[in-house]
Amino acid sequence: MHRIIVALAALLLGQTVAAQTSYEKGRYLAAAADCVACHTAVNGRPFIGGRPFHTPFGTLYSTNITPDEKTGIGNYTLADFRASMHRGKGVHGNLYPAMPYTSYYLVSEEDIEALYDYFMQLPPVEYTAPRNQLMFPANLRFGLTFWNWIFFDREPLAQPQGKSPEWQRGNYLVNALGHCGECHTPRNFAQAMRRDRHFAGNLLEGWDAVDIRPRALLRQGWDREHLRQLFTTGASDRGTAFGEMFRVVEHSLSHLSGDDINAIITYLLDGSDETSRVEGQPELAAERYAQGRADFVAYCAGCHGREGRGIVLDFAPPMDGNAGIRGQSPYNTIAVILRGLPAQRMDRNNARAGMQGFHRELDDARVAALVNFMRTAWGGSKDEVKVQEVAEIRHQLQEHGYLEAAQ
Amino acid sequence: MARIPVTMVVNGEQVGPVELDEYTSMLDFLQEYLNLTGTKLGCGIGVCRACSVIVEGADGSLESVRSCINNVGRFDGKKVTTVEGLAEHNAEGEIVALSPIQQAFLRNFSFQCGWCTAGFVNAATVLLDRLRREPVAADRVEDTIDEALGEHICRCTGYVRYFRAVREVIESTPGLVKEAE
Repeated sequence: MHRIIVALAALLLGQTVAAQTSYEKGRYLAAAADCVACHTAVNGRPFIGGRPFHTPFGTLYSTNITPDEKTGIGNYTLADFRASMHRGKGVHGNLYPAMPYTSYYLVSEEDIEALYDYFMQLPPVEYTAPRNQLMFPANLRFGLTFWNWIFFDREPLAQPQGKSPEWQRGNYLVNALGHCGECHTPRNFAQAMRRDRHFAGNLLEGWDAVDIRPRALLRQGWDREHLRQLFTTGASDRGTAFGEMFRVVEHSLSHLSGDDINAIITYLLDGSDETSRVEGQPELAAERYAQGRADFVAYCAGCHGREGRGIVLDFAPPMDGNAGIRGQSPYNTIAVILRGLPAQRMDRNNARAGMQGFHRELDDARVAALVNFMRTAWGGSKDEVKVQEVAEIRHQLQEHGYLEAAQ
Repeated sequence: MARIPVTMVVNGEQVGPVELDEYTSMLDFLQEYLNLTGTKLGCGIGVCRACSVIVEGADGSLESVRSCINNVGRFDGKKVTTVEGLAEHNAEGEIVALSPIQQAFLRNFSFQCGWCTAGFVNAATVLLDRLRREPVAADRVEDTIDEALGEHICRCTGYVRYFRAVREVIESTPGLVKEAE
């Protein structure tokens, strides 16, 4: 009798453990693929969709991916699920490429199955997202057949010889699940990613999703340790994650294992840890951009510290050596000054106060001088930002309503 | 350490030009140099907004600015009002009448320890100034107060009474509220 009970218990236990691991694996992969970020509206329930995406062709809404039979993906078979992930084919027609099937087609069969198992075990929620508001002809889903035909190049993941297994794992995480290219790769007129400019950076929602090719990252000062801090906590002495990238850290990167974070970094930096040397010239900068320095002291130093050295990271990052200041493009430095940044909160011990936008108080010439002062003093930059560049960025941000929203 | 000349108008009085260390925070300047101690240091990192003062823009509109994280240079040439300058004063400098917001805060007993009060008074004063120029729809009054004061922290949790006092002033002052759209 005892033996039977023990055997039964073992059987039950064994099954629970197996079920849990499959579910856990799917949950982990869903975090790596950051499904929740897009399929959740502001303050909405996770995975029920309804988040708007503003595209040049109109507004799209993410859909309900809980297993509700009426409004979600409850009726999807594994084959249906695979078709949506790999080919952008939904049960009701083509998906818009806002769904990153243009990256997910690289997700392995094993991972597709685990993700399917996970989503089918979520509690089903009945919810229908608002209808898409797209202009003609983008509103015709069959048109996407042509789009896919022309722009959806299902080239397999490059697996170059001579790279470490860690690099290969990072390659898969970054390109397939992480779908980093969807933001960091420039798009063409039809909003397709440009393969020839893979990871070269892209303007999105009034921010520069920066160039993340190895040389650009090293130039910005990102070494392994700083990237690890950024990916796990959202902040480092090289700067903080903001805009959509903060959500990526919050929902995806901070949930990944140490090994996977290491793999991602190895891939992104291509195994190097040699950041470019930057020769800051604070004296020259102060002399050349006196108004810029005065404004830094008056407006910025209270949080970013004397001589741009920061105070504590929980407060605001240093500007001396900041990736945005060191980077090739001054876009984000200008945009942050104009727009400000919302407060951030990762957890009880890791939060930032946010920053006021200065678009009302600082005109284009003063913003340019401030940016030039910082880039010369702490970024070693030799290219000067022109007043006209600031004016154009201000105009763009204004037009899309980003300057009022931050206030 | 560089020193810079600073000139401003504080509570209607000309201040300076005075030579100051360029890194002097506005809060330190008010307390240590002008003996205006009504503006309080709360968190010191620009979060709690206890230290907010009022700055008048070129077009006469008012803005609330945190004095702990901004150094004096930002206020050079500007008109600044602190909590000491809100009441109506006579020629001898004596207080004749408190401002409507101050009266409402007293009436509603909005504060206990009072540390955050100067910040709340100033932010509410800035809000009234804005509503005078851009009246708010009647059904948006509560949201508007929340947006204007929502970032201010009160550890005695006087929020409900602060909120009630500000709504009272907005609703009883002609011209601040328009009909709901």
